[in-house]
Amino acid sequence: MAYVLQGLLAQAAARHPDRQAVSSQGCLLTYAELDQLSNKVARALLRLGVAPGDRVGILAPKSAASVVAVYGALKARACYVPLDPKAPADRIGYVAKDSGINVVIADDDRTPQVNDLAERVPGLRRLLVAASPAASLALAAESGEPLGAERAVETDLAYMLYTSGSTGTPKGVMISHRNSLTFVDWAAGAAGLSMDDRVCSPAPLHFDLSVFDVFSTCEAGACLTVMPEGTATFPVSIAQWLENERVSVWYSVPSVLTLLACFGGLSQSDLSRLRTVIFAGEVFPPKYLAKLMAELPAARYLNWYGPTETNVVTAFEVAWGDADLGPVPIGIACANTEVFAVTDEINSVRQPGDEGELYVRGPALMQGYWGHPDQTKQVLVPNPLAPERDELVYRTGDLVTVDAAGNYVYLGRRDAMVKVRGYRVELGEVEAALYRHPGIGEAAVFAVPDELLGSRLHAVVSATGTTSLTRDDVLSHCRRWLPSYMVPEVIEFRAALPRTSTGKVDRVGLAAQGPDDTGERKLADTH
Amino acid sequence: METIINDYISRELVQDAALLPLSDDTSLLDSGILDSLSLLQLVVFLEERFGITVGDTDLLPQNFASVQTICAYLRAREPVAHG
Repeated sequence: MAYVLQGLLAQAAARHPDRQAVSSQGCLLTYAELDQLSNKVARALLRLGVAPGDRVGILAPKSAASVVAVYGALKARACYVPLDPKAPADRIGYVAKDSGINVVIADDDRTPQVNDLAERVPGLRRLLVAASPAASLALAAESGEPLGAERAVETDLAYMLYTSGSTGTPKGVMISHRNSLTFVDWAAGAAGLSMDDRVCSPAPLHFDLSVFDVFSTCEAGACLTVMPEGTATFPVSIAQWLENERVSVWYSVPSVLTLLACFGGLSQSDLSRLRTVIFAGEVFPPKYLAKLMAELPAARYLNWYGPTETNVVTAFEVAWGDADLGPVPIGIACANTEVFAVTDEINSVRQPGDEGELYVRGPALMQGYWGHPDQTKQVLVPNPLAPERDELVYRTGDLVTVDAAGNYVYLGRRDAMVKVRGYRVELGEVEAALYRHPGIGEAAVFAVPDELLGSRLHAVVSATGTTSLTRDDVLSHCRRWLPSYMVPEVIEFRAALPRTSTGKVDRVGLAAQGPDDTGERKLADTH
Repeated sequence: METIINDYISRELVQDAALLPLSDDTSLLDSGILDSLSLLQLVVFLEERFGITVGDTDLLPQNFASVQTICAYLRAREPVAHG
């Protein structure tokens, strides 16, 4: 049994070297090839001076090249840090500097973006990998032979995933090999993965859903299929691609599946090979889940739940008719994990009607937020039900209840974190970005619920002094600092923001007033 | 028709001001202007503005590649109300 993630690849390459490991836009890699190419990457990284524990950035969409990069970084005993190629340059630069990376792996058609990053991170060294990794110049001279006995241990950091931070900057969630394998191993079993499966998750590497298709697939000796970027724009194209690639297991946020159910023309595709559909990251609107299940009745449907800090910790298998009753439960705890919910009176949530915050304990819990022990202490806390125990548990901030069958049911958030397309967005981080604009005096951001997106962001701002401020000014400023899913859709200008009795900006009151056009897809233009 | 559609896309869907003015043959896909949600927004606009219904199976890259191809697609499915 592997105790570090790269051990999964060593096993797969030994057991079935000739089976397909990765299929990405015409680039096919067998397990033997993935193993050898990642050995080359590891050697190239060592030559660049990477030492155990170093963070190595990966600036690439999910592809054969980036999967090779992931395993190469791990084999060099580094901690990989996925950098979102679609994020603004300032944000990529922030993550690179905050995580302290000194080497970045990128695909070789991304040279301008990498050069820009190198200007922001002094001394940054680069390793460019070709879309067909075997053709990489930088790897040509490296040996693909094994690197020798495994020296990594399960408590080493495997990767850091950056997630929205309420204090205004993203924070790095530190995940060890043991943390990750707790999920990876459970997930391969829960999805029933076998070596005949073809697994796809459209989630990019910086989103924790990618841990499933990159690692659980490998554990099963199955094939990771990478959906080309842009396919998701056209739901019919997703269906056609799934049919052509013979995908058997799918894992994504619900919004992609909603589009597929509504606009995918599913009756004209043969998706009979798709046997398991897994979704996580936000609530699946029940009517669209029911529609999808009606269109693809032969598949299993699994609702997984868990924050980046723990990965998936509860699961629920949806049965026929469940989605007609409302949002499906998040279920019960996964293997090796315990979840419990605590009411405001510090009692355990035991029966329907009880409400409380969900806590998690077990080996899946992150090591903390990189460089932020203060923020880590706010979420890795003593067990409120048993403070005498020598353990830390993770406080999710999610409010839940239980149903009659004992399944947990998600109710909402305790704080100002919302989900947009499955991504976590701290409203405070969006506000902090707005405040960086010298012409903005006050800013408040609230979320308007949306069936497709989860929520849409609405900003209310007031200008300082006499400067004129336009919607375009504010939007282009936001786009400099924030990834697109964090940029408010609506910018509303007011002379001053409403305050609560304690003098805080009244975000709740603003959200309650709401925009008039909540049901519309159009942008309100209010200046 | 080109002007109406170009104006709408430029005003509502283009996020990066560097892409303006938008030419009728600019790729809406490579430039990142269209994603799954902005595509639906555009379809709602086209359906309302031209009094048509766009079927799921018409939601294809070749029909929505640029302002030109959108117009070609709409013309191919005449009659179209221009009011």
